[in-house]
Amino acid sequence: MDKILRIDVGAESGPKATKVPVGEYAGLGGRALTSAIISKEVPPLCHPLGGENKLVIAPGLLSGSAGSMSGRISVGCKSPLTGGIKESNSGGQPSQVLARLGYNAIVLEGKPKSNDLYKVFINKDGVKITVDNSLKMLPNYDLVAKMKSEYGDKISCISIGPAGEMKMGAASIAFTDMELRPTRHAGRGGVGAVMGSKNIKVIVLDDTGMQIRAPKDPQKFQDANKRFVNGLKSHPVTGQGLPAYGTNVLTNILNEVGGYPTYNFKQGRFDGASKISGETQAETETKRGGLATHGCHRGCVIQCSGVYHDKDGHYLTKQPEYETVWAHGGNCGISDLDKIAMLDFLDDNYGIDTIEMGATIAVAMEAGLAKFGDADAAIQLVHEVGKGSHLGRILGNGAAMTGRAFGVERVPVVKGQAMPAYDPRAVQGIGVTYATSPMGADHTAGYAVAQNVLKVGGDVNALKPEGQVEISRNLQIATAAIDSTGMCLFIAFAVLDQPDTFQALLDMLSAFYGISMTGDGVTDLGKKVLKMERDFNKAAGFTPQHDRLPSYFKTEKFAPHNVTFGVTDEDLDKVFNW
Amino acid sequence: MRLSRDHGALYPHLAFTVDETLVSCFYALLQQGVMVRCRTGCSVAAFLKDELKAGEETIEKIQSIILDGKPVDDLEAAWIKDGSTLALSAAMPGLVGATLRRGGAYSSFRSAITYHETKEAYEPEDGVVKIKIFNLLMSGLGRDLLKGGVMVPAGAIRNFLEERSYDFWQGCRQILLDSAPIALGALRDPAWLSGKDQIILSVIAA
Repeated sequence: MDKILRIDVGAESGPKATKVPVGEYAGLGGRALTSAIISKEVPPLCHPLGGENKLVIAPGLLSGSAGSMSGRISVGCKSPLTGGIKESNSGGQPSQVLARLGYNAIVLEGKPKSNDLYKVFINKDGVKITVDNSLKMLPNYDLVAKMKSEYGDKISCISIGPAGEMKMGAASIAFTDMELRPTRHAGRGGVGAVMGSKNIKVIVLDDTGMQIRAPKDPQKFQDANKRFVNGLKSHPVTGQGLPAYGTNVLTNILNEVGGYPTYNFKQGRFDGASKISGETQAETETKRGGLATHGCHRGCVIQCSGVYHDKDGHYLTKQPEYETVWAHGGNCGISDLDKIAMLDFLDDNYGIDTIEMGATIAVAMEAGLAKFGDADAAIQLVHEVGKGSHLGRILGNGAAMTGRAFGVERVPVVKGQAMPAYDPRAVQGIGVTYATSPMGADHTAGYAVAQNVLKVGGDVNALKPEGQVEISRNLQIATAAIDSTGMCLFIAFAVLDQPDTFQALLDMLSAFYGISMTGDGVTDLGKKVLKMERDFNKAAGFTPQHDRLPSYFKTEKFAPHNVTFGVTDEDLDKVFNW
Repeated sequence: MRLSRDHGALYPHLAFTVDETLVSCFYALLQQGVMVRCRTGCSVAAFLKDELKAGEETIEKIQSIILDGKPVDDLEAAWIKDGSTLALSAAMPGLVGATLRRGGAYSSFRSAITYHETKEAYEPEDGVVKIKIFNLLMSGLGRDLLKGGVMVPAGAIRNFLEERSYDFWQGCRQILLDSAPIALGALRDPAWLSGKDQIILSVIAA
């Protein structure tokens, strides 16, 4: 990887591709690279759907290598949903393929001169951009099937569905999985709308003839990778829990502690939780001939995904994630796993963020557009988004827009982005991250890695409530660094508990690049990324008042524990004091 | 296991002997919660060891313990009372999964809902405890619990039986109601549950 592919969609004779050296961005990957390019090259006050905004797609530092779990890919831009900087990442095959093709990033820039829609094909021989208006408004599954018929089955695809073409704030970018299905998504923040604004429907990648990326020190890399894999396999979460049940294993326990937002964040328990739990989901998948254990990209050893079949044993969708099952399930009062799986499929097909869409439907239900628990009505609302009806245009722009359009006060968003599946009144520490992350409400923004390993900012007394601010800070720093490596965030569990596994990760990076990576280096990288992102947001008009939860979280008691969000504004303002 | 003895003749006893692969069908009931009649007024640690017969290895595997809806950090300082609900889970993914671990580094994140005991100790007494078993614990601890017998609300049994497929019934080797064989038709007719409040359910693999 030594170059960036810049595609100027505003060139006179149609989109023009230019390969440029990676230059000043050398040594950066994933989120670090997307945020560096956006913060340097995009005017913070620009319109997110205008010609000044850019869409950056960047594999991680180890993507394309033999390193396990290195298949995440980051997408960056100014978000049409939040108005701030955005990094949204995904699994799937394209990260590995793009890296093997030698690209540190693809940057879509400029403003299209016409309404033509384009496809981009990249292989070892170069880049070919073709106008193809037959692709207009094709859903992702149909689109990928068409690309497969044109380019064969050795490809992987990065694409948008109708929601992206319609430039909706909840539009995602799809990345194909190992089976060439558009099941993995950079969902958050409306990144699909920015791709749509560049009139690029799909980027088709084919790495046939390319070699796996070689480390500087193959022996040390192989040794470190082996230790890393052993660490993941020996850990109860990455070695047992996630492979057996996937992320939806969280439903039962979140429900039990009363932290499972139900009926649009009204209460913390859902009577139908056990019907839609990861345990029930895995049992259902296995019984129907699907898969409860499956990877989203080659080289994954955690295998937290799966394949969900319908009652007749036919493929319906990939195993829906916990956040998806919650968003369309408990948050909407729906306890029918098959209907939730259908909603997941529709979201993937139309190209919509499942969290934003579920939260939006719950707000719509609160507004009276449908009854809580009415799964068929929820499905119909998603179809409205796919069709682009007037109602669908409102819903497709997210929970905040829908709340404004229908006069709903209880709208669970921060910086315009819907909260995920953990109520911040029950688990207040995550509320600190929701409030202060530059990304808007995002459970993955403060996900990773262990202050007890990195000791960012010194030792923290975790048993004191005031430790929440410090821990959130440390987690956000560490997560920003992990997101920059292109490693799956789920490695965090093993790294969290096993310093040897963390060291193995550092050793992998060091052996690959011929450097000496340390824990301090990781911390510095995370801080650097967060500073870039915060500076961008500040210049875009964000103030400390944007680092707040909606006020009803401070006043509405959350059953069954009847708690409110108690972290003070003063404490929230200290999160980034380092 | 003492649980089955203690349930005694209080309620009808429905005993399944099923193919090995079908035992997991009953785990749905463990997620919803089953009840055991047992000795209460003891710490969670003692309850796990003495009443559920959980060995050290199993207790180590139980990373999240939720007592009456609140995460427990100190197993010696949280007490099981008559009417308690105890939920048990192996280590969970995600930051919130880590947050809910007992005594974990991120326990402050959920300090608003953490379990705190109001008394130093409680008198031992016979009582009923609702137990929920989740995820990786179902095939070990949960299976043992089902083998020994648990109390299940009649409504939950009715729903469970209604939802079973042809394959399930094909895999049932023996079904006894109060030690006497019960015909499939009679079992699937909800009439036998009429007026029943609870059922004792036990499940073993053939």
